[in-house]
Amino acid sequence: MPAKRIIACLDVKNGRVVKGVRFEGLRDAGDPATCALQYCREGIDELVMLDVSATLEGRLASLQTVERISSEIDIPLTVGGGVRGEDDAIAILDAGADKVALNTAAVAEPAVLQRLASRYGSQCIVLSIDARRVNGGYQVATRSATQTTGQDALQWARIGAALGAGEILLTAIDRDGTLKGFDLALIADFSRALDVPLIASGGARNADSFADALAAGADAALAASVFHDGLLSVAAVKQRCRERAIGVRP
Amino acid sequence: MSVGILALGAANSRSLVHALRRAGADAVILERPEQLPAIGALVLPGVANVGYLIQELDRGNWRTPLLAAIGNGLPTLGICAGFQLLCTRSEEAPELPALGIFCGTVTKLRGEKIPHMGWSRAEATTSAFESGWAYFAHSYAPPAALRETLAITQCGAAFASAAGTGNVIGVQFHPERSGEYGARLLQRLVRMAREPIHAG
Repeated sequence: MPAKRIIACLDVKNGRVVKGVRFEGLRDAGDPATCALQYCREGIDELVMLDVSATLEGRLASLQTVERISSEIDIPLTVGGGVRGEDDAIAILDAGADKVALNTAAVAEPAVLQRLASRYGSQCIVLSIDARRVNGGYQVATRSATQTTGQDALQWARIGAALGAGEILLTAIDRDGTLKGFDLALIADFSRALDVPLIASGGARNADSFADALAAGADAALAASVFHDGLLSVAAVKQRCRERAIGVRP
Repeated sequence: MSVGILALGAANSRSLVHALRRAGADAVILERPEQLPAIGALVLPGVANVGYLIQELDRGNWRTPLLAAIGNGLPTLGICAGFQLLCTRSEEAPELPALGIFCGTVTKLRGEKIPHMGWSRAEATTSAFESGWAYFAHSYAPPAALRETLAITQCGAAFASAAGTGNVIGVQFHPERSGEYGARLLQRLVRMAREPIHAG
């Protein structure tokens, strides 16, 4: 078993890091490459860059921003946002991403996961699922959480993994940016039912909230606001994880 | 010193170009076998399905000149699927013979969650290699019992996370994304790099 991972997410819009609440009300949080390098030095295990307006603006994530971040860091970088198919995924990888995250495009055409995995291997393909709580269950939302598809989120995760996604990035929309803690029941459900690694996202609050998510079964816990706003240091999160006997990288 | 990257259509060559630059080398993406004599060291990178890599290797007529260059002492580093390409064959594409420099069959991992994704310890089995935290992202791996194993890592069972013989090293982790531990390995390759046989 690898160490449990703490991941910082850079939500990028127009070349700047932004952060909102439940995907709305975006505000500026800095330069992406500067933030990335800072997190790297603080001991973050991995970075995710999501171009949050790409899908809605009908374009691909900013390749220039990917290239700038990639050239600065010596830890893995996953990139998502506006990936419409294979060509976009290849462009993102060529720009310096180590893994590519698909969301809306995979829902529209699930076979794209299989095609990408057969060329690059599953370990390179992340299926990003935005799950919205509807009538006591969780449904898949797409297009930066502006549309709900009616599809059961866990069922979609299992199909995605069977098609070749090597990792599931699960965002609980109702917790995004709220600082209410991760959705532990959702995480436990997914972790039990999946045999690929699970990244939990949405709701990070304090160091204990990360430890809670990892103890509930997530292989990695991702956050944006708490790190960007300086509410929490990576070192403090890892220290608390160690105190709670959760294996993390020193 | 120039280090050639034989990308064969695999992903993430850019990460590697940047990491080699940080290690003090100029990296060139190789496009034709004729470029092999002009490089001081070679990297076989690795975000790919190994069957895809083998097919690209033969489609571009790389196999013979590559084996000749490695046999002639070219310092070579195989990363992830690039390491697997240096083994005999892989369960991922059993019908396709790989390069066979390390004698062993790459097998599917049997850990609790596959791919093995994230940071694990590479534990050196010889004083000629260094132990450390490294970043892994793979579903297949060479066996721990390769004759040339330098380090092992646990995922379900142990596998070879590094192997080496003479001028060839293979690592299952990603040195370009493994912090300072990975950077030291790339620096080692750059130090091993030799003057090119023919200029240009």
